[in-house]
Amino acid sequence: MDIHELKKQSDLSYDTAVAKRNALEKAHSRQVVAYREHLFRADPTTICLVRTLKESQDSFYLLDTNSNPVEITDPAGFLSILVERNQESLNAYNQTHKTFTKKDA
Amino acid sequence: MSRGVLLFCFDTEHTRYHKILERCVRLVKRNICRKITVVTNFATYQRMNPMGFINYKFIEPELGNSLNGRAWNNVDRHLAYELSPYDTTLVMDIDYFCFSDNLKQLFDTDYDFLVPTQAHDLTGRNTFDQRRWSMIPMVWATVLLFKKNDRVGKIFDTVKYVKQHYSYFTEMYRIYSKNLRNDYLFAMALQQINGFTGYETFPFALPTLPPDCEVVEITDEGLAWKYNDQISYVENQDVHVLNKEIANV
Repeated sequence: MDIHELKKQSDLSYDTAVAKRNALEKAHSRQVVAYREHLFRADPTTICLVRTLKESQDSFYLLDTNSNPVEITDPAGFLSILVERNQESLNAYNQTHKTFTKKDA
Repeated sequence: MSRGVLLFCFDTEHTRYHKILERCVRLVKRNICRKITVVTNFATYQRMNPMGFINYKFIEPELGNSLNGRAWNNVDRHLAYELSPYDTTLVMDIDYFCFSDNLKQLFDTDYDFLVPTQAHDLTGRNTFDQRRWSMIPMVWATVLLFKKNDRVGKIFDTVKYVKQHYSYFTEMYRIYSKNLRNDYLFAMALQQINGFTGYETFPFALPTLPPDCEVVEITDEGLAWKYNDQISYVENQDVHVLNKEIANV
């Protein structure tokens, strides 16, 4: 057992965890979308809610990130924007995440 | 409706803030907006390199504030409402580097006053959680979005009032830091003017590099820093750098 190797591994794990947290925070920031003069988060909850409401209604109300009601009159267009931003942020996160996997190997 | 970015920059005896401003302006033009107004004094202006079209407003900074024993000319933020030539203004600290265009979309909203309430410590130490050293939630006045209207005018009037009676308000809210910080000033004013209730905030935390991190490289895409003999970096992510030595990088 080489204690220096263990310490090195511990440091690497810590650095990777911090870098991962930063990359995830970056993805969360990127998921904020301005739509109809309000801010929304392009996260799974919003995407699922919009998709569910869209199935039965042509227009509906959502709460923005500051709990203000906003009428969504073009659910398909809004959903497309949300999905695009969500996947853009997660794609960037995935690219960064691959570098962590290489470091751990 | 005009939109633009407002920046405050005053050199001090120890820190060449205009060097930080030059980097900040470059990133703002690239990622946020080309309409920029810099509030400065003539002495600082004379040291600046040409940065393209910039609107300058000259004032003499209020002196007397300090950070770590050094002069810190940062107490003029309450004048942002009067000094901004724009209908919608994004006020930023010059040590907030926009490596992304995340803030740009705030211009497309109808909120009349937005302020961040959370900071993300890029070193993973949650340093800024300790900021709950008061009776009220703190804000980060590092970045503010405001529109000119009657309500926002009253917010800034309240900021001026709180600044005028700063000692009283810091005692009342049990804020232990005695030097004047815009973060505390705006937190107390927003609490007062909003009837002791909440207010609208940014939906994300400001990525922040604590003062004990040394920035070793900075490009148009991101920056690298050294902490505990370890080099780390971020790309395409905004960073608020608290170590003023960045002026020398």
